[in-house]
Amino acid sequence: MITAVRKPFAEIAGMLEGSRKVLILGCGTCVTVCMAGGEKEVGILASTLRLANEKEGRRMDIVEATIERQCDREFFDTVRDKVAEADVVLSLACGVGVQFFGEVFPEKPVLPGLDTKFYGAAIAQGVWAERCSGCGTCVIADFGGVCPVTRCSKSLLNGPCGGSQKGKCEVDPVNIDCGWQLIYDRLKALGQLAKLEAVRPIKDWSSGSHGGPGKIVKEDAVL
Amino acid sequence: MKGRRITVLLCENSAWKAWIDAAGQGPDAAKRLEGLDPVKLPCTGKVEEGMVLKLLENGSAGVLVLGCPKDNCTYVRGNYRAEKRIASVRAALREAGLDDGLVRLDFLSSLDSRKLLDIAAEFRASVLEGVRQ
Repeated sequence: MITAVRKPFAEIAGMLEGSRKVLILGCGTCVTVCMAGGEKEVGILASTLRLANEKEGRRMDIVEATIERQCDREFFDTVRDKVAEADVVLSLACGVGVQFFGEVFPEKPVLPGLDTKFYGAAIAQGVWAERCSGCGTCVIADFGGVCPVTRCSKSLLNGPCGGSQKGKCEVDPVNIDCGWQLIYDRLKALGQLAKLEAVRPIKDWSSGSHGGPGKIVKEDAVL
Repeated sequence: MKGRRITVLLCENSAWKAWIDAAGQGPDAAKRLEGLDPVKLPCTGKVEEGMVLKLLENGSAGVLVLGCPKDNCTYVRGNYRAEKRIASVRAALREAGLDDGLVRLDFLSSLDSRKLLDIAAEFRASVLEGVRQ
């Protein structure tokens, strides 16, 4: 899923300063699962803002809503009335949802309530870790199912650097495993260490973010 | 709008029983519970951040959460969950520029009716009269 965390309250309050009617719009998919921008988080933020506004004597009408996804146009239909009535919309979607909101409602100011982080998995309850960088040409078949682009801090494709010590990465020896140690261990367990004898050519990074904004067209789905 | 009443969220396995016991201890005890609105929960693990903030937003002057003693939760970790969530609520209150003492979590057994009365009186004095011990 796409993971995110809520922006600091002070930053959100600063962005909303002067607004009279605010719609806080949650997203029911990825950011609900990672507990950053779903219905519950919308409620928590709305209550906190209302309490802060009451204390400071600020007048701000805060409306709450959450839709299934903010990256598909049709789901916005259920909140068109609320959007129309708001001065500004604070989106608790990932960066995709915030921008797409702006495309669906070009006349309406939209603000991001989250900092979008990465494509990750829930490795334990309440803990999410990055597993994919969206590079556009997946290479993990050759690396025992472990992605060197994401799991190696330097995205090395031909073995570890000198910063690999006791299975940890020099970038953060406490929290980050050496991706290449993981690759070696996995291939060894699978009996596929011979795969590491191949020398990988320079990767074409243009299939990912280095090649500019991507677009997928699935012809059989296009109307 | 901030009111003069306090919401008390009680675990039915411990604090709720202590509350019933305390409430039956005569006029003095009843007086010490005045202004407190008890709410029975299946476990303090049911307490969520949004629920407590919504209570404050809707007029509770303060929220007191009372659960089972540590390591004695019927649902094993409910009171530990409550502890983390109340810490999160208190952080949200500080962010909003409010006093984080508006929310308090404590742990007691079903036999601790005297302790409950003391905590309730202390919390009410703290929230409504600004008296801190």
